Amino acid sequence: PPNIFMAGRKRKATESANQPNKMWGTSSSSSSYHHHGSTSGGARRRGGSSSSSRKEGGSSSGRASSSAIDEAAALKLFEDISDQEDPNVANMEGISTLCEQLGIDPLEDVRVLVLLWKMGAAKKPAEICKEEWMQGCNNLRVDSIDKFKALLPSLDIGFLDREDFKDFYKFCFQFNRQGTHKTLEKDLVIALLPICLSEGRVPSERLQSFCEFLETTKDESYSKITLDQWRSFLDFCYEVEDLATYDESSSAWPVLIDEYVEFMEKKAKDGKKK
Amino acid sequence: MVLYSQASCGTHSSGTLQYFLIKFRTCYDMCTQRSPYNWSRDLYQRHGETIEQYLQNTVLPALNDKSGQGGTILLNELKHRWNNHQIMNKWLKKFFTYLDRYYVKHHSLPTLEQAGLRHFKDVVYENVKEQATGAIISLIDEERDGEIIEKSLVKSIVELYENMGLGGASLESYTNDLEQPLLDATRAYYARKREEWIAKDSTPDYLIKVEKALAEEKARVTEYLNPASEPKIRLVVEDEILQKVQMNLLEKEGSGCRVLLANDKSEDLQRMFQLFSRLDNGLQPMASIVESFITSMGNACVEKRQAKLDSGEKEKNDDPEFVKSLIDLHEKYLGVIRETFSGHHLFQKALKNSFEVVVNQDVGQYSNAELMSTFCDRVLESGGEKLNDSEVEESLDRIVQLFSFLTDKDLFADIYRNQLAKRLLNQRSSSDDAEKLMIAKLKVQCGTQFTSKMEGMLNDLAVGSDQKSEFDARMEQHDTKLSFSVQVLTTGFWPTYKTPEVSLPANMTKCLEIFTEWHDAKHQKRKLSWVHSLGNATVKSIFGKKSYDLQVTTLQAVVLNTFNDGKTFDFNELKKILNLNDLTLKPLMHSLSCGKYKVITKTPANNKINSTDSFTANAKFSSNMRKIRIPMASLDPSHNKNRVEEDRSWTIEAAIVRIMKARKTLKHQELIAEVLSQLSFFRPQPRDIKKRIEALIDREYLERSAENSDMYNYLA
Repeated sequence: PPNIFMAGRKRKATESANQPNKMWGTSSSSSSYHHHGSTSGGARRRGGSSSSSRKEGGSSSGRASSSAIDEAAALKLFEDISDQEDPNVANMEGISTLCEQLGIDPLEDVRVLVLLWKMGAAKKPAEICKEEWMQGCNNLRVDSIDKFKALLPSLDIGFLDREDFKDFYKFCFQFNRQGTHKTLEKDLVIALLPICLSEGRVPSERLQSFCEFLETTKDESYSKITLDQWRSFLDFCYEVEDLATYDESSSAWPVLIDEYVEFMEKKAKDGKKK
Repeated sequence: MVLYSQASCGTHSSGTLQYFLIKFRTCYDMCTQRSPYNWSRDLYQRHGETIEQYLQNTVLPALNDKSGQGGTILLNELKHRWNNHQIMNKWLKKFFTYLDRYYVKHHSLPTLEQAGLRHFKDVVYENVKEQATGAIISLIDEERDGEIIEKSLVKSIVELYENMGLGGASLESYTNDLEQPLLDATRAYYARKREEWIAKDSTPDYLIKVEKALAEEKARVTEYLNPASEPKIRLVVEDEILQKVQMNLLEKEGSGCRVLLANDKSEDLQRMFQLFSRLDNGLQPMASIVESFITSMGNACVEKRQAKLDSGEKEKNDDPEFVKSLIDLHEKYLGVIRETFSGHHLFQKALKNSFEVVVNQDVGQYSNAELMSTFCDRVLESGGEKLNDSEVEESLDRIVQLFSFLTDKDLFADIYRNQLAKRLLNQRSSSDDAEKLMIAKLKVQCGTQFTSKMEGMLNDLAVGSDQKSEFDARMEQHDTKLSFSVQVLTTGFWPTYKTPEVSLPANMTKCLEIFTEWHDAKHQKRKLSWVHSLGNATVKSIFGKKSYDLQVTTLQAVVLNTFNDGKTFDFNELKKILNLNDLTLKPLMHSLSCGKYKVITKTPANNKINSTDSFTANAKFSSNMRKIRIPMASLDPSHNKNRVEEDRSWTIEAAIVRIMKARKTLKHQELIAEVLSQLSFFRPQPRDIKKRIEALIDREYLERSAENSDMYNYLA
């Protein structure tokens, strides 16, 4: 019914008036989970006519703007997966349903996370709210399952440059938290790292040995992993390629990393003995 | 020519005044005549030629004649000729003064005297100097070997050399022609001696020889050499016989520095110290040996303690023997440094370094911090060591010195406060002044913050005793049949104590109420919590016909009161009546029924308190003494190691935040360094500091810089 559309568009208009830049994602704030305009990939927003029309829509309130997608269809998709008790939110159950429809495995396929990241599901872990969904659909220009499916190839993490990937990687941590917890359980981290860091984002040997270290360490304080430790691991992989150059006395890396290097050194020594 | 003959005569006679005047007049006349009868130039020339010829024809051959006959003879001849020349020069100059005054000046020629010297130098000196130098050097070497030589002869020849440096006061000839060869010879001589000595002499003996050699050389210069040579010769000798064998001497087996230290050879060490201080950086190697020696002595004390513990001796938090051994060691070497090493800073540092290593070696269950604190406890408690005032001060002084080397000063403070509290609350401190003295010394070492709590404790007691009379007057107004006094402790100064909410008998409760009323009237803003686990009481008790004064704790008194009128209770009943838990009641009952004075009878009668036991007053109790003290195990642990650890975490975090707030952004290593420099009372590992940084990142006080993984930014 027209009223809902109007209401929906109006809301979008005020939203866009408040945050004109976010939609196009040209700002480089690292805390924003929206697209950054650097990589290639599937459905990218283009500049030009549609943007100006959007902006027009934003500046004058009340005027019906023409979006590039069928918002009603996008909204319907959301309603299909939203939570029964809270229709404003789609949690993991709903997201799994979406994945089924798309033919990807939410437990193993990193593209689920990439999709959610690109859609901007940042507010709370393990869920995406209606606003984020609609915004995301608009940004990615999808309003049907088929369009989502067409999007899939572009969700490969191999396409992301380092900065974008760092952002995505951080999102992986944040999204997988439980409720208001600020940390992840170690076991989850061990399962999650290979998924997030697949496709050679970091050398596989480093990834493997780090997971081995996490598994074998008896230190109680590592039963939960903090965001700082999570992020530092990636930066560490980027900056320290050769463990032999690692100097603990001057390193600012978290103690977790120091202990990992120690673990590796001991392994090498034991290996030599044999 | 007349002049010639007169000139040559001049060399032989010493001239009376008249003779002089005749010659002078003649010269004057010759020089003042009008040209071409002015004979100035000729006179001047002839003067030079005459001298030259004389030297050439008479003096030089005479010298050459003597040259093959040995150094001394040559030198004597040279001396004689030189003396003659000086006289001749002098008189000729006098005779021909007029020449000097006008002709020479006018034409800027060398004066007659200078010319005379020049001729001597060119003709005689240059030809003879090598042999002369050789002769002198052999004489000097002979003297070094202990022979007696003609010092005045040498001195005269040295003067010749000195005078041969023409052009003012130049020592050029002396320096080049005598001094330099002498230095070379000196070097060779002492190199030889060094090899000789080092092979067979012990270090102390060698050093005695060095001392002697240096003194001799110094005297030699004073006696017949030019003073400018003194430092040069000294340097050569020091180099050859000290510098080159320094390490050899220090480390010589059986007599090196370490051995001398071990055998307290202070005279030898002092000599060694004085000799090596002459060298550049001569003392550092010695100081290093001293440092390592003292460290090994300290380690021996530690090992002794370890052995004691290993042999099965029971571990206590008290080891006065060990602490005293460290104190004595420190005192000893403080003295050695003061007297033998003149208090030199390198050695003071060596002592400090070694003690910093030794004092922080903990062995066994109790840290050295605790052992040291208990040592203080002994000194400060009444009935402990019987010491007079100055002995007390000395002991405290020494323990504080030892304390200054401790890394874990905060641990010491924590334990010390606990022990201080026990002393104060149980009135076991022998002297208030001694307590204040110790705190003052700690304050000087560590600052006000370190001792503020301790001072607070003493202050509480002082305030309490001031207000005691006021409260006593108030108590008299009420009739409680109990004499009662209260000690108010300011929370935060004192250790935390358990506050069991024991059910008090009515008369006690009344006393509490009176006090609370009085106190609240005085201090409205303060809240009181009663600590019944501390506190003492004297209970007048009657067993059979005899009455006793039992000195017990408050809790014990409450228990005893419960058993009045021959009542019997079992453990669980008591728990309910008294409102105490097992942890408190068990030791309580143990002290009254299983200790030396069994004022309470326990059924069954064994040494362990079980919840099935039942208790009643021991009607058959008796003792010879009237006043009996019944001790009880303390309910609070001696100190909380975890709390010290926690406090450290907070302290580190506070330091990090403080530093980052001021600097806004800082590199990792600089932050670590700053933190360590701000922590004076303990020294955390860098990893521990890192963990605190991570915790602060987690709580969003700091962030890692996005541009540089090595830097942190402060988040306001």
